[in-house]
Amino acid sequence: MCCSSSIERDKALMGEPEAFDISAVKGMKFFDPHVHMTSRTTDDYQAMADAGVVALIEPAFWLGQPRTGLDSFRDYYSSLIGWERFRSSQFGIKHYCTIGLNSREANNESLAEQVMEILPLFVYKEGVVGIGEIGFDDQTAAEEKYYRLQLELAKEAGLPIQVHTPHRDKKKGTQRSMDIALEHGLDPYSVIIDHNNEETVKEVLDRGFWAAFTIYPFTKMGNERMVEIVKQYGPERIMVNSAADWGISDPLAVPKTAALMKMRGLSDQDIELVTYRNAITAFAQSGQLDEADFNAQKNVDLTEKFEGNTILRGGQQPRTDKSSIIIS
Amino acid sequence: MKRDDTMAIQEALSAIVKSNVSADSQNWLESVIQSADQSNKISQAFVMVPRKTGKSVIQLNEAQKVSIAAAGISYISNWTIDRLCRVWLLSNLNAADQEKLYATVDRLFLSAEMSEAVALYSALPFLAHPEIWVKRCAEGIRSNIGSVLEAIMENNPYPSENLDDAAWNQLVLKAFFTEKDIRHIVGLDERANLELALTLIDYANERWAAGRKVHPQLWRLVGKFINAEIFEHLKVGLMHYDQIEQRAIALAVAQSDYQPAKDYIHTFPELKLALSEGNLNWDSF
Repeated sequence: MCCSSSIERDKALMGEPEAFDISAVKGMKFFDPHVHMTSRTTDDYQAMADAGVVALIEPAFWLGQPRTGLDSFRDYYSSLIGWERFRSSQFGIKHYCTIGLNSREANNESLAEQVMEILPLFVYKEGVVGIGEIGFDDQTAAEEKYYRLQLELAKEAGLPIQVHTPHRDKKKGTQRSMDIALEHGLDPYSVIIDHNNEETVKEVLDRGFWAAFTIYPFTKMGNERMVEIVKQYGPERIMVNSAADWGISDPLAVPKTAALMKMRGLSDQDIELVTYRNAITAFAQSGQLDEADFNAQKNVDLTEKFEGNTILRGGQQPRTDKSSIIIS
Repeated sequence: MKRDDTMAIQEALSAIVKSNVSADSQNWLESVIQSADQSNKISQAFVMVPRKTGKSVIQLNEAQKVSIAAAGISYISNWTIDRLCRVWLLSNLNAADQEKLYATVDRLFLSAEMSEAVALYSALPFLAHPEIWVKRCAEGIRSNIGSVLEAIMENNPYPSENLDDAAWNQLVLKAFFTEKDIRHIVGLDERANLELALTLIDYANERWAAGRKVHPQLWRLVGKFINAEIFEHLKVGLMHYDQIEQRAIALAVAQSDYQPAKDYIHTFPELKLALSEGNLNWDSF
């Protein structure tokens, strides 16, 4: 996510865009445990399916601007469990979600109170694999209050926790998030600390938490750095995600990182752990995630409808040929 | 901004608004201000302003330049007329009923599009009861819209005069993150604090670990607080041999009282020379 960027800078840092060569990881399966599909297009679902993404988790987050009323939260949570899950299913991708009050909007206390009241209605729904993403943004007292309340909710519901660590003052924010989770008696094995970097990874792993990494251009983790981290720390309790959202982000970050890992000599087994298996192990603690569901999802009927709506707009065919230069 | 200046500011703004809008628009603005139902009319007019005024950058005559300089608001000289007009309208809201004032402005914030949000945050120093806008200002820093952040961070005296340390530090940190012009943050040096310095050093370490450069202005906020621990981080920075970062660290050290760091800088002949020539200053970064 965020913020100021320019085409000139993109080019200076990244060069001209290049087509992604999937052949290095052809046939592998991927799980993106953090991606905001609500803000992505249907084309992204197609591309993800083609690249081997078989399942994903969509954490509840903010919309880029603060919501001003409770109903917007209610509709958003409902869409994660409803329309978005359906849209994903149309591409053979199993869609799970985590539900929570994000850190930025925790600062609107009167609204946050109301959101806390409706959260229990959503966290027990089928396919909700955790409370998330919660934690700190600018590390205010209000953020801490709602983080703690949601940790208690997770404990009561027996759900894993997906912790968003702040962009700014990350090291302290990460340490504080872990300290508070332990203070509430949570098993670090049920807590996924997200958006790690070179400065936070060691402590997160040493203290027994899961360390998730977001491959996101410019702001978070680059995938060359990611390869080095897996080389240094090994694949245990590490997972890779895209956190793709409305920013300049890449929903293919997980398969691309796997391809790069392959090219840089990591074993297939290690790649599988950090881009697929570890996330399943961590979030399956919710009792709401079963690999068998991924296969069931494979039998796609693109003519299905969701409450009378379909992703196929007037007269569209179920699939377009992306290799053709003609868009008809 | 000092309360005694309020009248002078109000007069300066009125004069500039008048000389930058048509006679029709001037009459319309007058009728809005003088309306019996002032807060509703101003709210509506606030939204309509660009249709009536256009969006050109304001033109100032010499006398106006002098008056805004005297009032300490020279920074408005590159504003557009719609932004200035909106700020001026808000500054005319009746301040006697604090609750009503708050409700009126808050409602505008809740439905603001980008240019409106820019004008609203720009208006904070011109509104009565500065203490009631603190939370709103802190909320604005959470925005990720560049122009809105600039309206809060750059050339705006409200944050440094009113925010608590936590929100202030967040503003500065976010300004580095979003690549705002740090030199335009009002009160930057006066509000430097140890907590912020330590946070910025963590940030610098993160940048280095990611193979990125560190903004030289960051060291400006560290200088005053250099101690044995911070000195160790500075040494790491100096070892990157990035000439701009090195010079900024050298300048920060020169402005500190920590002798071991001063002695260490002198072991770099080129930094010693740059300092002795006396032409290193924060405006040069």
